Amino acid sequence: MQQRSHSRGRIAAAAIATAVVLTGCSSGGSSADIADSAPKKLEGTVSLWHFFSDREADVIQGVIDDFEEANPGVTVDVHSGQDDEKVRKVIASGGDIDVALSYSTAVVGNFCSTGAFQDLGPYIERDNVDMGEFSDTVKSYSEYEGTRCAMPVLADVNALYYNKDILDEAGVTEIPTTLEGLEELALELTEYNDDGSIKRLGFNPFMGMYENSPAHFGPAVGGQWLNDEGYSAIGSDEGWPVLMEWQKDFVDTIGYDKLQAFTAGLGQEFSANNAFHTGQLAMVVDGEYRTAFIDDQAPDLNYGTAPFPTAKGYEDLYGAGYIVGNIAGIAKGSKHPELAWALLKYLSTDTDALVKMANGLKNVPTTTSALESPDLEVTEQYQTFIDIALNPKTTTTPPSPVGAGYEQAFGDYWTKYQAGDGGDLAKGLAEVDKQINDSIDLVSGP
Amino acid sequence: MTMTETRRLTAGDVPKRTRVRGRKSWLLWVAENSILCALGVIFIAPVIFVFLTSLMSSDQTLTGALLPDPWRWQNYADAFTGTPLVRWFGNSALYAVLATVFMLLSSVPAAYVLAKIRIPFANVIFVAIIVAMLLPPQVTAVPVYIMWAKLNLTGTLWPLILPNLLGDAFSIFLLRQFFLTIPTEYIDAARMDGCSEWKVLVRVAVPMAKPGIAAAGIFLFFKAWNDYFGPLLYASEDPSWWPVSYALATFRGTHGTDWGLTMALTMLVMVPVVIVFFFAQRTFVEGITLSGVKG
Amino acid sequence: MTIAPPRRAPGRAAALPGSPGPRSRKPRRVFAAVMLTPALLGLVIFFVYPLIASVYFSFTRYDLVSDPEWIGWRNYEYLFTKDPKVWTAALNTLWFVVFLTPTKIVTALCVAGLLARAKRAAGFWRTLFYLPALVPPVASVVSFVFLFNPGTGPVNQILSFFGIDGPLWFNDPSLAKPSLLLLGIWVMGDIMVIFLAALLDVPTEQYEAASLDGANGAQKVRYVTLPNIVPVLIFALITGIIAALQYFTEAAVASGVASGKATVGEGTGMTLGYPNGSLLTFTEWLYVRGFANYQLGYASALAVLLFVVAAVFLVLLLRKVSAFNPESRS
Repeated sequence: MQQRSHSRGRIAAAAIATAVVLTGCSSGGSSADIADSAPKKLEGTVSLWHFFSDREADVIQGVIDDFEEANPGVTVDVHSGQDDEKVRKVIASGGDIDVALSYSTAVVGNFCSTGAFQDLGPYIERDNVDMGEFSDTVKSYSEYEGTRCAMPVLADVNALYYNKDILDEAGVTEIPTTLEGLEELALELTEYNDDGSIKRLGFNPFMGMYENSPAHFGPAVGGQWLNDEGYSAIGSDEGWPVLMEWQKDFVDTIGYDKLQAFTAGLGQEFSANNAFHTGQLAMVVDGEYRTAFIDDQAPDLNYGTAPFPTAKGYEDLYGAGYIVGNIAGIAKGSKHPELAWALLKYLSTDTDALVKMANGLKNVPTTTSALESPDLEVTEQYQTFIDIALNPKTTTTPPSPVGAGYEQAFGDYWTKYQAGDGGDLAKGLAEVDKQINDSIDLVSGP
Repeated sequence: MTMTETRRLTAGDVPKRTRVRGRKSWLLWVAENSILCALGVIFIAPVIFVFLTSLMSSDQTLTGALLPDPWRWQNYADAFTGTPLVRWFGNSALYAVLATVFMLLSSVPAAYVLAKIRIPFANVIFVAIIVAMLLPPQVTAVPVYIMWAKLNLTGTLWPLILPNLLGDAFSIFLLRQFFLTIPTEYIDAARMDGCSEWKVLVRVAVPMAKPGIAAAGIFLFFKAWNDYFGPLLYASEDPSWWPVSYALATFRGTHGTDWGLTMALTMLVMVPVVIVFFFAQRTFVEGITLSGVKG
Repeated sequence: MTIAPPRRAPGRAAALPGSPGPRSRKPRRVFAAVMLTPALLGLVIFFVYPLIASVYFSFTRYDLVSDPEWIGWRNYEYLFTKDPKVWTAALNTLWFVVFLTPTKIVTALCVAGLLARAKRAAGFWRTLFYLPALVPPVASVVSFVFLFNPGTGPVNQILSFFGIDGPLWFNDPSLAKPSLLLLGIWVMGDIMVIFLAALLDVPTEQYEAASLDGANGAQKVRYVTLPNIVPVLIFALITGIIAALQYFTEAAVASGVASGKATVGEGTGMTLGYPNGSLLTFTEWLYVRGFANYQLGYASALAVLLFVVAAVFLVLLLRKVSAFNPESRS
């Protein structure tokens, strides 16, 4: 964990402020009046806020060190372990923040539409950044209504992990490609303790566990989120109910209470006690970064990866998946916009930086050059994720002014539904639609 | 007077009653003490389990075992080396001490004036203080947050410390109740002796209200030490400003931490309070009780 | 925060404050003004102004990034007709108001009653029952969620030893609130200490007189003990209700820890209410809308509603409790 304190000066500032009159917060240079050309020499301090912690934060720090070396005179003030909630708080309160790196694209719609992230268009145009390096999906999730306020910095892709030793022991050679196959195999691999509690699960269908979320299960049916008008399409989508009924049935087959008790007793997701590492889960849906966690925390684990299975009638989607980017932008009120842009450009387009981060984090690079770089270390398990990322049918969660609000509303209903409190599914989903649309209207309606 | 009641209480003895007589009373005595013992075990059990878990390896905490095997004292060392624990404790201390000192500086004189000097609009002010004290802090959170944001002080604990310079409603209320119990004759006598108002406050009123001031101080100190909502709102984005309570709640979620270390941290958060309690048990119970009785 | 009402302070002269002193009143007025100024400023800055500002913001759309935009009654319309969770949150808070405070009081009173009768080691017992109240709430919640973990926690391990299949506790929507009630009982020590003081304070002569009149144990409790401690009880009830109205820390931390979710990336607001909104209190919902979703205008509307509800309680209280009466010179 690196926490560079920037608070020393504040003590003095605070003491003075007690007696001081309210001063307006300074809102730095707006994006409209940027310099005609990029400054020749960069100097000063720029602050980067990102969400990584522990080992992953060290990887980011490595790239930041390279940046500082390449730009003597520039110091990067790194704030690690910052979630979206905090970043937004800091931007809104005019805190010391120049570049923010978020774990997901959920903030794009909200940060673009509110102006929390500055429009990067003028910088991109001025510096002739080749946007053709990014795929269309990647470009789509980092802009909102034509405003590019964020740059993609690597991407996360989800797929199925399986423990080879457990599968070998059971004599399984085929990795399931359908949901039914997944459930069947999962039940076969599940073991119970003497008292009836679960000892090992083949696959944990419990919504809310680790990376189990509507977005990560969605590719099995190609579930749609928003329609062209930007309102919820969840209730009218034909795939979601199929997926939800399958998941609920799976939960009920094992027993809700048993599953909940087992799930609550599992180790923390990002700890060495992750249940996939310990063999308590034989298969799990997770992102490509898990390969790096396994290298670090459970190097002896014998595992493989495959695309997430698809539902009956959606076989053509097999091989595709869910992709979501880490994105970064320049905060409103940034006091060093040129430095911020230089850092942002480095993090999002510099091939060496992207490859170094991709190798360290095992995230999927977002530029063609980085993907094709010979320096990119690709293992067999990691290759699955690159294939999914390049699959044209791979989908993402679209930006919206309520951010991840629509995913949450859906997830809330789903957890209720799996507990048996969801009532009629069609009615429930229609209610989810209404909730999402109402909240979109509240924040952005006329 | 209240003082004597509490003394009796702290001394731990009870009013003399007639000695146990008869079989029925004896049975009652057995029943009562059995209940006490059973309750005692239940009340102490959580701490014991937390302590035992704090000595387990992270693998073992997930097995449902009740006793550590092996006893992993390393967790406590890890708590100090793996987390900025000292800094967090320092932040808690800074917050609690400064808030308490500031509150006393501003609230003692105000409470004294409200209790002992006839001023215009005293009732209006008093009612405003009562309402301010009873309202949930979340009611005013939004505009107050915006205010501190404009002062660029969010991301620190100062928004939680500095307001105490301008009085704390609950403390003023509590202190006023104490000052009311000081007979006005003493104050008038001091005035007769030629003391200025300030000297009357410092030399006469404050010494007589010492238990009350201690009670108000203890209350605010613990409110600050235990605060979670405040740091969540104002200091969550900067771990170097986290107080230990907030850090404990947040740490497990943001780092790959398992129960062994978390429970060691939990023990470490509990211990200082308990140590303080054993050193200052008398002031403590007296303060709590007095505030309960006088409030 | 536990405070009890003033009891009749014997032997106190009813002298009015500020009775004419030997000197001029003027310096005293100046002194009073100077001493009160910081507190008055505090009231204006941190109480009066925010209340007014909240009302204004509640009619706007405001995210702190751009300027507030006036949207009329839209926030209120959404609050009363569309907000999917506001009533869940309000009902959860009401649940805590109705159950948490009385449960704590009854337990505290029973334990205090036992302790008041204990002949031996009264000090030891009092310390033992009081100590949990000293544990920082965050620490006690984290501990409880661990102890009651349905898969690996000691409570269910011990239950299974007796052949009982333990429930899901903090992970079960219908048991999460009662689980917090257990925690509330564990930390009832501060009220208990005050009750104990009040019980020991009941004049022995009154019991003796009752015995002479032939009263049995229950009658003594009913006609001697209770009337003597009623003021303390009422005060504990009232302060408990106020605390329950702002219930936040325990519920928020319990949700966060029980969900087992890593908050990396998303933030605290994500886990509030877990499981299935059963622990979502009104003040948490206000936090989520205001400081996780950054809808400060809408959060202000929630704050105004909370203020109105709290004010109703306050008006009732201000009448009932003599200590809150400015004229009372206890």
